Amino acid sequence: MLASILASGLAAGAIYALVGVTYNTMFSTSRVMSFTAGQLAMLGGVFGSMFTLKLGLPIAAGFLLTLLGCAIIGVITEFVAVRPVLKNLDQHLYVLSTLALALMIQQVTAIKWGTEPQPFPRLIGWGSGVWDEKFWLPVAACALTIIGLEYLYRRTLVGRAFLAIAEDNFAARALGLPERNLRVASYALAGIIGGVAGFSGGELLLAFFANGALLNFYGFVPVALGGLGNNRGAVIGGLALGLFQQAANFLVGGIFSSVAVFTLFIVVLLAAPQGLFGAATTRRV
Amino acid sequence: MRISRRDILSGSVGALGAATLPFPKPAIAQSEPIKIGCLAAMTGPSSAPTIGFNRGVNFAAEAINAAGGVKGRKIEIVVRDTQGDPTKAVNATQELISQAKVHAIWGPFNSGEALATTPIMARARMPDIHPCVVETLIDTTKFPNAFRMAPSNSQWDDAVRNYCLNILKVKKVAVIGDTTGYGVTAVGASVAAFKKDGADVVYQANIDSTQPDMTPDMLRAKTAGAEVIVVWSVSTGMEARMFNTRAAMNWDVSFVGHPSMSSGEIAGLVEKPANWKKVYAIGYKSCSYDAAGRLPAKSEDLVARLLKANVAINDTLLWWVAGGIDAIELIAKAVAESGSTDSEAIIKYWNTLSKYPGYFGNYTFTPTQHNGYLTEEIVMSEAATARNGTFALAPGYT
Repeated sequence: MLASILASGLAAGAIYALVGVTYNTMFSTSRVMSFTAGQLAMLGGVFGSMFTLKLGLPIAAGFLLTLLGCAIIGVITEFVAVRPVLKNLDQHLYVLSTLALALMIQQVTAIKWGTEPQPFPRLIGWGSGVWDEKFWLPVAACALTIIGLEYLYRRTLVGRAFLAIAEDNFAARALGLPERNLRVASYALAGIIGGVAGFSGGELLLAFFANGALLNFYGFVPVALGGLGNNRGAVIGGLALGLFQQAANFLVGGIFSSVAVFTLFIVVLLAAPQGLFGAATTRRV
Repeated sequence: MRISRRDILSGSVGALGAATLPFPKPAIAQSEPIKIGCLAAMTGPSSAPTIGFNRGVNFAAEAINAAGGVKGRKIEIVVRDTQGDPTKAVNATQELISQAKVHAIWGPFNSGEALATTPIMARARMPDIHPCVVETLIDTTKFPNAFRMAPSNSQWDDAVRNYCLNILKVKKVAVIGDTTGYGVTAVGASVAAFKKDGADVVYQANIDSTQPDMTPDMLRAKTAGAEVIVVWSVSTGMEARMFNTRAAMNWDVSFVGHPSMSSGEIAGLVEKPANWKKVYAIGYKSCSYDAAGRLPAKSEDLVARLLKANVAINDTLLWWVAGGIDAIELIAKAVAESGSTDSEAIIKYWNTLSKYPGYFGNYTFTPTQHNGYLTEEIVMSEAATARNGTFALAPGYT
């Protein structure tokens, strides 16, 4: 039982963590919590299945096209649901605009792709039982994504420009950084990360339109637990959530595991409103 | 000529008397087409059954019209696409009744729409025949115009319980459903009925259909000693995951339950075809073939006629096509026997049917019983054996 909890808990947790990182990537350059994050991950599974199984493309080509498709949806999110409301961030209109776009993505997927889960191909064919690739692939994808992001942010000029925008938008613009272009790029990057989450977790979650809403919720929990904008916090929060959820599944059963997860979530937020790894916000007086 | 008050009074009485006499109907009423409204979810997520039903509807209407119609009157099908949306179904129903002036309605095809449209049709006394499963849709006091020609939920439940207890002869049962309203209600009803029949329900659960790993629930069911798992869900993803988990656990327990377990989509979701064995989904005698691969004679004949008429049945279910044919024939028969398209006449005729031989089943209606499908015609099918929309009978039937 323990092996099963660890295998499926870490796998689900890694997917939640990647969705959390998707939220953070969009948030960092726009200060917007875009509720399309889960839909991007859902599309990762749907595009992956469509390119590889329906269109018969090789896995590698299907993967690249999936990332491209998700990046385009990410950019569309910035243009359609984020840019128009940036001037009124304090009114939180982005909640409505991004949720509306998320619903549109979900409904279009349901109509065009179907409302039943579709199969996702075996990607590598390694492992069985608790070592099946459907369990370790999301974990590996999460680890590689975090390493890649760390490299991007610490070692590249573009990554540092992202950080500068995230740190102080006005100062970065004053220094001549192309804030708008960088924001668009960060939404494309978020799309790619969401696509990686959906593609690597496709064998576990299948290509299913309803995964979007599920991942929107469960991907938001690690962000709140780990602290807004904190990728390391999101990863730790995501993995912890996956393990706790799977343990609750074993101990108290399906319906009650969701109750257990959200009870824990509320308790943590009551104890640490800024998240377990987030810094308390300072206010100039 | 003088006209007295007495003349006016007697003339008025005469005119009033004449007005009460039946007015001769113009000949056009006897030759106008029989208009059958069809509330069909042609598009949208729940369109699959409609596609099958419509093939049967068109096949039956064309066959009747080609044979000269019903006493010379042609069948005219008036289709409205409800998209599976109750609001659109309500609008379409009102339009069919008041604008298109149909004589009877076939549909809608899902319970959500039917819950919204049935009271409207009852107010208009519109004869309605439908295949929706929710129990409350049939109530001869509130909806004397509504007739069901497919099994209700409780009839499915009875058939599943009969198979588990009397054919598989198991006593320890696990009942699992999804977390939708349907799943929760169906599991509750099924558990209560199993207990009433003396079975030991060792495990019951409702699982979120998006839950990626079914190991926890399957493990608990196995530990509790379940000899069969009864499934009440329409989620093929959840069902396929349960079949895969059973194989991973090296457990040979049988699954019995909802017809969605025989959906063709499951073939792509199970990790290997063997995982779909020992899965017995609700099916029907008329659409099940025996060990020799033969359907009942009447169904064999229907399949041959459908194939000859180029009606595709390999991508749908035969019972949907057969049900569509039966619905149109039941309406046509009512008009032929009663000699009228009057709604009361159609309803009165349907209320007299006893084992009316349709293709999908034999229907019996009385003024106080509008669940027309007979429970004994519901059987379990081997889920993985689809062939031209029919399935092999599950083991244990003769």
